[in-house]
Amino acid sequence: MRGEGNRVALLEVSKVTKRFGGLVAVHQLDMTVNNGQILGLIGPNGAGKTTLFNLIAGYYKPDEGQVVFQGKDITGLKPYDVCRLGLARTFQTTKPFMESSLIDNVVIGALMQDHNVANAKKIALNIVDMLGFGEIAYAPGHELTVPDRKRLEVARALATGAKLLLLDEPMAGLTPTEKAHTVALLRRINEQGTTLVVVEHDMKAVMTLCPHIVLLDRGEKLVEGTPQEVTSDPRAIAAYLGEEYVAT
Amino acid sequence: MEQETGMRALAQRLGRRVVIIAALTVAAIIPLVVHNPYAIHIGILIFLYGYLATAWGLVGQSGQLSFGHAAFLGLGAYTSTILFNQAGVTPWLGMLAGGGIAMAAGAGIGYPTLRLRGVYFALATLAFAYSLQIFVRTTNWLGPIRIGAGPGLHVLLVNGGNAPSLFQFPSKEPYYYIALGMVAGIVALSYYLNRTRIGYYWAAIRGDPDAAESLGISVARYRIRAFLLSCFLTGLGGTFYAQYFLALDPRRVLGVSLSIEIALVGIVGGWQSVFGPLLGSLVLIPIGQLTRAQLGSSLPGLHLLIYGVILMLFIQFLPQGLNSPVMRGLRWAEAKVWRPREYSTYERGGK
Repeated sequence: MRGEGNRVALLEVSKVTKRFGGLVAVHQLDMTVNNGQILGLIGPNGAGKTTLFNLIAGYYKPDEGQVVFQGKDITGLKPYDVCRLGLARTFQTTKPFMESSLIDNVVIGALMQDHNVANAKKIALNIVDMLGFGEIAYAPGHELTVPDRKRLEVARALATGAKLLLLDEPMAGLTPTEKAHTVALLRRINEQGTTLVVVEHDMKAVMTLCPHIVLLDRGEKLVEGTPQEVTSDPRAIAAYLGEEYVAT
Repeated sequence: MEQETGMRALAQRLGRRVVIIAALTVAAIIPLVVHNPYAIHIGILIFLYGYLATAWGLVGQSGQLSFGHAAFLGLGAYTSTILFNQAGVTPWLGMLAGGGIAMAAGAGIGYPTLRLRGVYFALATLAFAYSLQIFVRTTNWLGPIRIGAGPGLHVLLVNGGNAPSLFQFPSKEPYYYIALGMVAGIVALSYYLNRTRIGYYWAAIRGDPDAAESLGISVARYRIRAFLLSCFLTGLGGTFYAQYFLALDPRRVLGVSLSIEIALVGIVGGWQSVFGPLLGSLVLIPIGQLTRAQLGSSLPGLHLLIYGVILMLFIQFLPQGLNSPVMRGLRWAEAKVWRPREYSTYERGGK
């Protein structure tokens, strides 16, 4: 199956813990992302998925544990330094640069790869074409609809030239057709060599897209494996999936 | 298609250039036809405040507000004046030293506070300007350096004020052209920066600092660059101020009211835009001068009240500043006048 990766670890999270006051948001978590993989990260609200993204991408500093990316310890590095090393993330609540046009939003990401604005524009135009934005590429950020904003998050992160993208609910709020488009798009991005970690609640989308799934619950890894393994695990059903998955 | 967008871009750029060239020509011709010194004085103030507000606006472009820019103007003014009065250094060179000192002070405030989110930076600039003023007002001598305390300093006159190599001129016209050159230069610089990486990064930072960081942009670093550049340029403006008025009163040059006036001009014009601060100066300075001249003696303080009302009206009805309706109007006129047939595509494709 596509998106399985080549068993070379690109990202290794080991024994990472994050506390907010008395609350343990992420506890002793281990996770490995292989080069070329599409890894699905699922779990109930409050399980620690976004916190984990924030810990990996440098928005939070772990209280314990280590994050290693491409063999380099990136624990506690700032988000912009993490991005420079080739790891970019998107936000669940989209954050377009409102006054800049869509294409300029992507140019800002592409300036990571090439400091020259004209060259960055070429990179951005390619990505905007690939993602099929068409006419709205010149609309300002504040005029974009939710699906466009979701795709823009991906486009911008991709434009940085990152090897690994952490995508936080790229399909939330989309219609089934739009979700199918996004699944196809993410596959294409992966086939071009980008490793993906995708947080998503839509199990159908996750199961079509991700050959490998990690289920978080209360800050800990509960189950990990192929979609079949995860959906047939009684703990996964009890914690997150519900009875409708028992039969399959 | 490619050709068509190219043509459109060309028309757009030419269109804008026509406006800029016309404005510069009119500004350059005015002293040749208008010989009223008061009118020239207002012109100089428009350019000076346009310059200062544009320099101040560089901080705004990186998404921060400074309420203490008088401090950097004052540092530039005092540095070049002290160097000239006590060491005979021409203010043309003292200007650069003043910019450097202002920038060094900016580094002292910026490095600790621009790493923090929130109002700390704005508060620090205000506090710095205030304490600098108190220090200057209470210090006559700092070692061998004469600061002048409360009464301030005068720039020593040479040859009755006719010494171009020492930045002293007998009439207002040379100051007018220097100020015009300075404001044209700083607006051009701001325009250029907006088309390079730093300008795109400033747009990202004022759009959303978290998203900017996710794309590899160090928010603190690009804010510090904006602030240091702004301090340096404001320091240069301080030397112009000193040479034009020839007197430095610390309550004025280092005053909170001057900091607020600079900020006000920028905010009314459009504090995050390239041309906004100059537009703000074009509108506010004549209003301020005329109300002061008309009402200053009979009802002192009323012109400040009028200023306050104008500011409130702008915040209520035009928070983006004058820049955005003016630019929209220009773009519309451009499309109508220069490329009438492409008007509809223009609207859609415009940035």
